[in-house]
Amino acid sequence: MSDGTAHGVNKKRRRFLIGSTTLVGAAGAVGAAVPFVGSWQPSARALAAGAPITVDISRLNPGELLGPMPAWRGQPVYVFRRDETILESLASRTDHLADPESEESGQQPEYCQNEYRSIRPDVMVMVGLCTHLGCAPILNAEVQPQDYDPEWQGGFFCPCHGSMFDMAGRVYSGVPAPDNLVVPPHFYETDNVIVVGLDGEDS
Amino acid sequence: MSEFDNTPAMEQKNKNGLMAWIDARLPVTKTLEKHMTKYYAPKNFNIWYVFGIIATVVLANQLLTGIWLTMNYVPSSEGAFASVEYIMRDVDYGWILRYMHSTGASAFFAVVYLHMFRALMYGSYRKPRELIWIFGMAIFLVLMAEGFMGYVLPWGNMSYWGANVIVSLAGAIPFVGEDLMVWVQGDFLISGATLNRFFALHVVALPLVLVFLVFLHLLALHEVGSNNPDGIEIKENKDEKGIPLDGIPFHPYYSVHDLVAVVVFLFVFCFILFFMPEMGGYFIEYANFTEADNLKTPEHIAPVWYFTPFYSMLRAVTFPLFGIDAKFWGLVVMAAAIAILFVVPWLDKSPVKSMRYKGWYSRIALMLFVVSFIILGVLGVWSPNGSRELLAQICTIIYFLYFILMPWYTRKEQTKLPPERVTGRFISIPQLILALVLIAGLTVLPLMAVAAEAGVELEHVEMDLHDKESLQSGARTFMNYCIGCHSAQYSRYNRVAADLEIPEELMEEYMIFNEETAIGDLMVSSMSKELGNNAFGIAPPDLTLVARARGTDWLYGYLTGFYEDQSRPFGVNNRVFANVAMPNILESLQGVQHCEDAEHCDHLVHVDGTGTLSEEEFEEVIYDLVNFLYYLGEPSRLERYRIGGYVLLFLAFFWVFAWLLNREYWKDIEH
Repeated sequence: MSDGTAHGVNKKRRRFLIGSTTLVGAAGAVGAAVPFVGSWQPSARALAAGAPITVDISRLNPGELLGPMPAWRGQPVYVFRRDETILESLASRTDHLADPESEESGQQPEYCQNEYRSIRPDVMVMVGLCTHLGCAPILNAEVQPQDYDPEWQGGFFCPCHGSMFDMAGRVYSGVPAPDNLVVPPHFYETDNVIVVGLDGEDS
Repeated sequence: MSEFDNTPAMEQKNKNGLMAWIDARLPVTKTLEKHMTKYYAPKNFNIWYVFGIIATVVLANQLLTGIWLTMNYVPSSEGAFASVEYIMRDVDYGWILRYMHSTGASAFFAVVYLHMFRALMYGSYRKPRELIWIFGMAIFLVLMAEGFMGYVLPWGNMSYWGANVIVSLAGAIPFVGEDLMVWVQGDFLISGATLNRFFALHVVALPLVLVFLVFLHLLALHEVGSNNPDGIEIKENKDEKGIPLDGIPFHPYYSVHDLVAVVVFLFVFCFILFFMPEMGGYFIEYANFTEADNLKTPEHIAPVWYFTPFYSMLRAVTFPLFGIDAKFWGLVVMAAAIAILFVVPWLDKSPVKSMRYKGWYSRIALMLFVVSFIILGVLGVWSPNGSRELLAQICTIIYFLYFILMPWYTRKEQTKLPPERVTGRFISIPQLILALVLIAGLTVLPLMAVAAEAGVELEHVEMDLHDKESLQSGARTFMNYCIGCHSAQYSRYNRVAADLEIPEELMEEYMIFNEETAIGDLMVSSMSKELGNNAFGIAPPDLTLVARARGTDWLYGYLTGFYEDQSRPFGVNNRVFANVAMPNILESLQGVQHCEDAEHCDHLVHVDGTGTLSEEEFEEVIYDLVNFLYYLGEPSRLERYRIGGYVLLFLAFFWVFAWLLNREYWKDIEH
């Protein structure tokens, strides 16, 4: 019987034992994979480097821009103060936008899901990464006709693939970028200090 | 499971499907058959035959964890040590990967030594298996290079000085030695340049060579077929189909059989990994928890345990010969000890292969060889002295005599005629126990004669990581008294806060004194290295790993061991650490202590009323501080125990299935 084909083999029992051993072994393999997979998560150092940042806006006048910041989680964060004219144009001119009401959740925290996409209408906090393929759009706040938009009211223009966003980071329709620019979680520690990277306790 | 069914019908079916398409282009089925389902292994393998497959498992572990470690390891003299601690602390599960690799290194050698012993015992190196043996020895050689270079990479102080000692060996070669040494180092000392090239060799070049050699080892094995405990060729007795009568297909019989053994091995491996990864300083040496320092040799240099037998032989040569100094001959002896292994197939002249049928000369020779090898291993760990040196010399001679006299005693002795067909168990359990006792006795007795090492006596203090209150108190003391001068630069404040259950706000308010410091930052002291150098003559060392480098008993003895000594710059000396540069920073709490006997400062007397705390209160403060440092040395320790428990439970559970499966299949086999 050296070839292993014995008579009277209980095939059912064998099949059960192979199946159960394979199953338990597979569970073990999954368990053993945990450290290998888990170690690819951001490390404590990355988390510390990506910790929330505070931004002092006490000297930020209307129409002025802070940023891109030495970033939160390595992403360029823009903070800028919008004057009355900009706010008016944001409210009045929306027909060229893909998502004027910011209905796409996930692009901003709930507390910024409004027409200005901000906690305070005048102060905009935004991650300056194009939602198309992650280039950094350039802020062009001048209200004057541009090659890419003869009716330019100020906003962000992405040099990579020509996507356009208004002064609330809302994406134009008919451009490659699918979504509005991301508004990071943030809150006002005091009137003039914003913490970027963390939701406030009220929210 | 179709892979287990090897019926002709199954093969027929395969020929029509996707497998046939592939098989016409790539010999998958053919290869599997040749090496698994139609590779006929002797049916009388015993426990000694599992170490080959286990070595393969360890190799896979080393390759996989090694690749993962390089993802975070920094191969530079500035970054290496810190990056290892980064892996141990900041990378999720990094400590498991690192311990898997470090434990795997030791396991590799343990398994390979047992595998080699098996070959010596059953004559697995004899014709026609000489090449298998030679490839195996080449694997052993490459493995030693891997082990050595890998040990340098963490860039601890033992890494550094170990590398220094081994590379200096090259300097012993006459005429070219010095130049060779500089060339190997790429510098005039072991430096970042050396580290970088060792890294490249350890992670790229040598693993490639190793895997290739393992491939050749297996290819040669499967060409000639496995030896067995009887040392007879099963191919000499075949049935009408050309299948050896004593052979059984490797798969499924030995795959299920080896699975049982692999699980047992994994159980032992994981026990060490999760519960004693340092293995009392033998797998990871304590001095390696201090960063490499080219100005300060560790008090006691010893290579990792797997090199110690050869290291002992190197050290045993203490006399010049033919006008060339001992250093060179030491190198020659060590190299010869490894080289002689390669020619064993041609030294053994016995008419039989296996120890079962060899005579008493061979048996006694092998036993003495094993005993001398173990004794040399133990001696290599200890620091040398006169009597140990003599013992090492005797054992070195026995080691070589085993090989040199082999042609003589294998011819001279009375051998027995091996049977035609393979047999089962040869020696009985009592005989086995007797043999083990004999080997143990022969090993331990000479060692006892040369043992005895003494140092400062330290009181044992049991640490308790579950006592969060004690740890918090220790953290407070650390932040108040220690971090002004000492860093804990591999640890982060928020990790300490989380592990010790200190709310982050409290931590920021009461324990972080630097405004610029964020909660996620590393615990770096505000005192610069230069300032420390100027104030104390030596920069205060980093304390993150001090408990692992020194041990908690030492720390407790040290921190309670300051006594008045006006000859010292700060007016204090220390019982445990003589002439230490540090002042007794806790003197306001502790008060003054005197030496009872100035000659031998074994006992200290406290001067009443000189400190704000009573002796008991102070001892509690120190206990808490040491407990905290114990935590700081390895913050994942409790998690390690916890996960380890689950892993062992799982393996025990899995073993039951593997065992049942094995039993079921082996019902087919007639013994």
